[in-house]
Amino acid sequence: MKILLTLTAFWLFASSGVSFSASRFNPEMTAFVEGLEKQAHKDDSSFKGFDAERGRKIFFEEHPNEKLGKISCATCHTSNLKNQGKTTAGKAIEPLAPSANSKRLTNVKDVEKWLLRNFKQVLNREGTAHEKGDALMFISSQ
Amino acid sequence: MKTVYSVMLIFLLTALAVAPQNSFADDDHHGGKKEKRWFSSKTLGQVNNAAYLKECGACHFAYQPELLPGRSWEKIMNTLDNHFGDNAALDKATASEILNYLVSNSAENISYKKSRKIMSSLPDSETTLRITETAYFIRKHHEVSASVFKRKSIGFAGNCIACHTNADKGDYDEHGVTIPRN
Repeated sequence: MKILLTLTAFWLFASSGVSFSASRFNPEMTAFVEGLEKQAHKDDSSFKGFDAERGRKIFFEEHPNEKLGKISCATCHTSNLKNQGKTTAGKAIEPLAPSANSKRLTNVKDVEKWLLRNFKQVLNREGTAHEKGDALMFISSQ
Repeated sequence: MKTVYSVMLIFLLTALAVAPQNSFADDDHHGGKKEKRWFSSKTLGQVNNAAYLKECGACHFAYQPELLPGRSWEKIMNTLDNHFGDNAALDKATASEILNYLVSNSAENISYKKSRKIMSSLPDSETTLRITETAYFIRKHHEVSASVFKRKSIGFAGNCIACHTNADKGDYDEHGVTIPRN
């Protein structure tokens, strides 16, 4: 009976989508992702939740860059998020993948700062809540 | 004239070489600051502002504030949205804390010899944003060709620590230089 209850609870939890995606994060980050979800709904009523695959596309999509010609997130973070990256100024970037770096995606202030900065850096504009959420889903899946 | 300069240089280098080495041992201690200042031709301070190290040092070598005048730091910190082509925007509180640290330790506000030399190499009319564009830097690196700076493990002239392996401790001494081969 206990097993059945656990399984049911897990199924409910897993199928609820929102909570499932948010469960990858600590409470502070969960609240942040939920805030992004709310904003994404507000921006587009047909929004159905964040998607790691869309996040992957965002991560690898190249954009024109004044200094480098072309730039994507992978330019500095490399195409394997478990690896160390390198800034254009030559400094090592610790792996982005939480599986390789447990500090990643744990501090809301840091996450907000880098999402703001790096969307501007790569896309030349701020990311929407939808895009930020997708990117976080992709990074957290790595 | 050249000979005079050479003699002066040799004299200077000898003077530095005979300086007691143990004075460098306590680089990490604040108590060592007085001594460090005495050895002003050799070392700068060690960057000790946590916000500066975290925010600026995340992307590039955390240059000692003593390497640029306050007016340069002000201009840099006021144009972080386009920081040499990159977006380095910070929240206001963090930016003002960092600016305060940079200006209070800037080249004209500190008595290191290197700082004085940098200051005197800068025309008052200019607000240089790059340490590598100061006449002092150029003079000191005239033997290093552009292709060396472009080597993969160096990248650009502003990557101090790629060759000055103790640059993070404020030590830019020529004897500590190891230029990577590729």
